[in-house]
Amino acid sequence: MNTVVMRLAAQALLGRRRIWLLIGLAGLLLAVAALTRWGSGGNPATTATMMMNFGLGILLPIMCLLIGTGVIAPEIEDGSVVYLLAKPLRRSTIALSKLVVAHLIALIFTVVPVVLATLIAGDVGGELARAFAVTTALASVTYVSVFFAIAVLSSNPTIIGLLYAVLWEGSLAGYVPGVRTLSVRQWALAPAEAMLGGNAVVNVHSDVSIAVGIILIVAVVLASFAVAVRRLARLNVRVAD
Amino acid sequence: MSAPAPNTPNGVIHDIGFRHYDGPRLGRGWAFRSLLWETVRGAYGLGRPAKSRIMPWLLLSFFMVPALVIVIVAIVTGDDALAVSYTQYPLTVSLLVTLFAAGRAPYAVSRDLRNGVIPLYLSRPITRRDYVLAKFAGLSIAIFIFIAAPITLMMVGALLAKLSVADTVLGWLGGLLMGALLAALIAAITVTIAAFTKRRGLGVAAILTVLLIATGMAAIIVDTVGFHVSHTAGSYGALLEPYMLIDGIGASLLGVEAVNASVEPTNALGITVFIAWYFAVIGGALALLFARYKKVGGV
Amino acid sequence: MSTLELTSVSRWFGNVVAVNDVTMTIGPGVTGLLGPNGAGKSTLLAMMSGFLAPSSGTVTLDGKAVWRNPSIYRSIGLVPEAEAMFDAMTARDFVEANARLHGLPHAREAARAAIEEVDMTFAIDRRVSTFSKGMKQRIKMATALVHSPSVLLLDEPFNGMDPRQRMHLLDLLQRLGDEGRTVLFSSHILEEVEDIAGTIEVVVAGRQAASGDFRSIRRLMTERPHQYAIASSDNRALAAAIVADGTADAVSLTADGLVVHASNFGAFVHALPRLAIAKDIELLDVTPADESLESVFTYLVSR
Repeated sequence: MNTVVMRLAAQALLGRRRIWLLIGLAGLLLAVAALTRWGSGGNPATTATMMMNFGLGILLPIMCLLIGTGVIAPEIEDGSVVYLLAKPLRRSTIALSKLVVAHLIALIFTVVPVVLATLIAGDVGGELARAFAVTTALASVTYVSVFFAIAVLSSNPTIIGLLYAVLWEGSLAGYVPGVRTLSVRQWALAPAEAMLGGNAVVNVHSDVSIAVGIILIVAVVLASFAVAVRRLARLNVRVAD
Repeated sequence: MSAPAPNTPNGVIHDIGFRHYDGPRLGRGWAFRSLLWETVRGAYGLGRPAKSRIMPWLLLSFFMVPALVIVIVAIVTGDDALAVSYTQYPLTVSLLVTLFAAGRAPYAVSRDLRNGVIPLYLSRPITRRDYVLAKFAGLSIAIFIFIAAPITLMMVGALLAKLSVADTVLGWLGGLLMGALLAALIAAITVTIAAFTKRRGLGVAAILTVLLIATGMAAIIVDTVGFHVSHTAGSYGALLEPYMLIDGIGASLLGVEAVNASVEPTNALGITVFIAWYFAVIGGALALLFARYKKVGGV
Repeated sequence: MSTLELTSVSRWFGNVVAVNDVTMTIGPGVTGLLGPNGAGKSTLLAMMSGFLAPSSGTVTLDGKAVWRNPSIYRSIGLVPEAEAMFDAMTARDFVEANARLHGLPHAREAARAAIEEVDMTFAIDRRVSTFSKGMKQRIKMATALVHSPSVLLLDEPFNGMDPRQRMHLLDLLQRLGDEGRTVLFSSHILEEVEDIAGTIEVVVAGRQAASGDFRSIRRLMTERPHQYAIASSDNRALAAAIVADGTADAVSLTADGLVVHASNFGAFVHALPRLAIAKDIELLDVTPADESLESVFTYLVSR
């Protein structure tokens, strides 16, 4: 890992516009949580539904998309990535350094707001918050890895990433049973289901077992990394006109 | 052109065949229409390299698939009505409309800003307002075409399934009308967001964030407020979100069935507010755009 | 010392052949890469800098392959075409970041020295986003020089520079070449190339049209007669004598003297002094009139 690359990636992500967007989104989640509490009076079942649909279903993918693509896509788009590539650094080092920064920032901006929002909206002794914290952490790491790879492979990463996150995970997963086993959200929910096991009030289910979920998450994270590194090594940066 | 010979006291310009253009010049209206048409074509990648055609046509085909399914179901089951009505369709599969607009709006405006070519446009007969209006109208038409395609497919399918012709044509026209209203609203919102950044990627991300979050939040607000305060109060939550707004307007004006009954305005006041809000949003967006492009002069 | 070797390199994109069987060796000193637009210069530079793989053939630096080999960037300095840099940083921070990425132990000092070398010390603490095009170009040069590379690849480096900056850069490149580094730059502006490039490589429509010192290339252009401008004490008599002698193809009289076209310049060069002495004419000035890079280039491009 290279500290200079990491420092540059952090500066790019936390620089003005993007960070306000991230903070705004986190704030929005808290606002919705407050609204939910007002509406449901702190009912944990409502909290769980709201979290799964809005929090995990919409907000989390968007947050991870902004971070996972924001750490590399702007540089590829305007060509300044050449300053990183024309250096005696292994491509895997560059990718890993950026990913570590992206993951750290993503974890902070997803897990913390999710936990706070769950508590605000209504929880049973922090149980839901703990479960969702684990789910969010796992989903966040997976999404960021996948979106990073998409950002290196395509010049339109935001649309493709969102098509995947909302269409695949959201709609199709509702209609086509087979898709659910291949859904990041299901993998990440598996540990939550186990943690909340006996609690019949909240409706948290996952279609896969913990073992399968974790294995698939690890596989996808590693595969996206490999794909991203391979593409980075062959990236055709416009050197001359 | 050759320069005058060095030692002569009076300059001489030689005629080497450079000619003035003295013919008819098409005026401002023509320029405006060309820019508009160019925006529409660009949204579908026509007249551009093949790579830019993939995304819009891919999204369009995704968008047509559910319509195809609905038509096939109607033909096969022999129902007397389509499962999803013409007006309900774009609102149900709204995600694809959002994705299309989010991709094409930055494509229409960000490149000109990035490359600093606005002064080139302005040195022609069109004004800044013309430019903004042309881009807005162009994108509206592009989105309208996007929406009209599956609706028309449904109409053709319905006729093939021997559904009532009068109902079908009326429904189709109603769908087109609502589609037009929706297209203008979405165009106004997306072009405004896209025009505030030079980076295409950031524009796409910003639009998607705004629209998707609005959808999610509005749904929650409508439900919560509707449950706790009153149905009427809940319906005003639709003002936060373009699709719900059009749903409400369409349901009350055209008398069609809304996708989400909670967003239908319950009284005359509600209807008035909805319609006024619709025009306010578009007007406000255009005003913002005019202000934004006023500052764009230099490179 | 570092030598870039291209051996039978071709690159095609689908049906379009951008570079067609080019073999060249770029050694120490300054080399100019010339060619009209679309000739394949950019593709060649991309392959030499390791950002594009040849479809066939090999590109090596001192025997090591350049493609997918990030360690070569220790020896290569690249001035990229990208307009954008890490905009929010100051010049100092930007060059220093590049130095650190190279793993230089004294990055701050190296950055300062590189910025001084490109004459940008006056703006060292200003944000890069506020720079003019020429200033950005110089900072790009600083990032390419900060690690003291033995090979320097530049694409149209004089773009956007004012005459003073141009002269400074010409001096800099000349100096780097004299130090024994391998400097390769592409250009359209023939005067620049003429000034400092010892060797030129001319690429036309993907093929290598010529390489070497341009004056020697001129000698090889035997289909075109050489042109000489001659001023003497008696132009008319000299003209008559040359015509009678037969070693020249054409002679024309101008206000300033004679212009002679000779395809067999070897014979003409021997004949001229002989004729002058025989007719008792004093030769005041004999200048090759078309031994310029421009005429060489035009000839090669239009073949």
